[in-house]
Amino acid sequence: MQIQEKANGDVVVLTVNGDITLNAGGDVLLKDKVQSLLQQGQTKILIDLGGVSYVDSAGLGQLVQIHATTKNQGGALRLANVTKRLKDLLVVTKLVTVFDTYNSEQEALAAFK
Amino acid sequence: MTEARLQITDQQGRRVVPLDKPVFIIGRRTAADLQLVNADVSREHAEIERVGRQYLLRDRGSRYGTFVNGEQVTEHPLEHGDRIRLGRTDGIELVFMTEASTHASGLREAASDAGDLRQMAAILNGLRALGTGRVLDEVLTLVLDSALDVTKAERGFIMLAKADGELEFKIARGLGRVTLPGTSFTTSSKIPREVYQTGQSRIVGDLMDGNLAGMHDGTIAIGIRHVLCVPLSVTPIGSGETTSRNVIGVLYLDGRERSTMLSQATRSSLEAFATQAALAIDSARLYAESAEKARIERDLRIAAEIQRALLPEPTYENPYATLAASSIPCRTVGGDFFDYIEVPDRGLGFALGDVAGKGPPAALLAAAVQSNFAAQAPVTADPADTMTRVNRALLRRAIEARFATMFYGVIGSDGRLSYSNAGQEPPLVVRRNGGTDWLETGGPVLGLLSMASYEFDAVSLEPGDLVVVCSDGVTEARNLAGEEFGRDRLVAAMTDAHGSRPEAALDALLGAVRKFSEGAAQGDDITAMVLRYGNT
Repeated sequence: MQIQEKANGDVVVLTVNGDITLNAGGDVLLKDKVQSLLQQGQTKILIDLGGVSYVDSAGLGQLVQIHATTKNQGGALRLANVTKRLKDLLVVTKLVTVFDTYNSEQEALAAFK
Repeated sequence: MTEARLQITDQQGRRVVPLDKPVFIIGRRTAADLQLVNADVSREHAEIERVGRQYLLRDRGSRYGTFVNGEQVTEHPLEHGDRIRLGRTDGIELVFMTEASTHASGLREAASDAGDLRQMAAILNGLRALGTGRVLDEVLTLVLDSALDVTKAERGFIMLAKADGELEFKIARGLGRVTLPGTSFTTSSKIPREVYQTGQSRIVGDLMDGNLAGMHDGTIAIGIRHVLCVPLSVTPIGSGETTSRNVIGVLYLDGRERSTMLSQATRSSLEAFATQAALAIDSARLYAESAEKARIERDLRIAAEIQRALLPEPTYENPYATLAASSIPCRTVGGDFFDYIEVPDRGLGFALGDVAGKGPPAALLAAAVQSNFAAQAPVTADPADTMTRVNRALLRRAIEARFATMFYGVIGSDGRLSYSNAGQEPPLVVRRNGGTDWLETGGPVLGLLSMASYEFDAVSLEPGDLVVVCSDGVTEARNLAGEEFGRDRLVAAMTDAHGSRPEAALDALLGAVRKFSEGAAQGDDITAMVLRYGNT
């Protein structure tokens, strides 16, 4: 799993490529990344999941954890380009209402305004 | 306690003298019980008195003092392996000994008397063949003591390479067959590393010589000047004719005296010996590793048995409902569970859950979720309330980012099924004439969200209707082409199942999954439960 970081105004955009799974170690990687952003005072975080093909239960758990941590620290986390597969998983686990999901980076960025 | 004795090594060679008098005098004069001729030794230098079971070493006002293990003493209770030095006499070494020789050290004595390491090598080879070389520490001790006996070095170390290639002290022994205390020692770090890397022995005659001194400060400070270091190497299995050898560590000997360790003859016989020693060490190590692996596997098998015991019987029947369930972990233990419980005045409660992750961590959490469920289910009549309670109980013991999904339903004698689904793959209701329903109402997965709220829904079942609950290991089972079993195939597998016995419907479902996946390895636990309303 790879994470690319870029800034768009006061929003930090993380573009994730690869699987977010326990085996790929991706679950912790993403959490650590968001944690360090929060520590630096970044509160608007957008995760682009367009390049993520598979999220397992451990990865899903971490996404929820990241969301909760961001919220607890007064920040906002939004997800863009959620694949159908992940969307289905969010529907089954009824976590879809927990996340703010958007079809594109632009839509998600607009929602931060 | 065996007879106490002193082992003396001086210019006359090595000998052992029993401490057979209540007070044993050591000195230069002829009348001493042990006479040592050396300018540093006073006429009556020291005495060893037997007090009960103890032996006390006392300095008798000597000119140059009495030392035990390098420390000056006036009176000192002796222990097995203590080295006594009189004055500055590096040329004479006294070692106090009380412990019995073991059978193995008997062999060692025979070998060292013959002064031939080749004989030792043969013995080691024999031990290995007999499988006596199973305990690594014993093999290391035997190897090191033999090497010390023959070379007359003062200290010996075996360093074995760790996975990262760093050398690690495995054992340290001194003359007199004593284990030197501690886990790290002042030795040259350069010499063993070189020997390990090159696979070539090194003899360093005198660390004080030439330019070497600067590099070996620490070693020289404790008086060590002579080092002999040979590689411990084995030929890798299957390497055939190649000359490549796998260095597993080094045998390192040092001392303040030249003794015999520096001779070319000693070096070559020690190298031959080291080859046998390395084989014995390697096989002992492999044995230890496989024993450890076997222990872990045994623990896992026991865990799997316990896990099976935590699950209820796979079939159950009451006057208006029958159920059958099955759980197949993809590893030895799994993260799925099922349970059922008679809820007073309400009906038969049945649940199936799945914990995120796999293997032992998931199994432990599954046990926690299942026991929470079993504790909460009888407390409330409302499945949604049960979910809320289980969620809170799990959050109190929050394990970061670990969660569970669970379906819980209660079927009454009137056919009313109330249920709540916490993020579980929706169960399928199989109705007469091929009608189907999915049981989706509920709330998010358990154990992640403190504010999560759960709803319940109710459906009416007719006699013969089936409820099929399964973990995502069923719907996400893959075939060799990477396709998933999916909900459509689940419905198809249950098309003709209406009214059939739950065991038969369960077999049909698992059979369909097996046939679909064509023996492709499954990445998830496969758990399913079928409940039929009405006993026709």
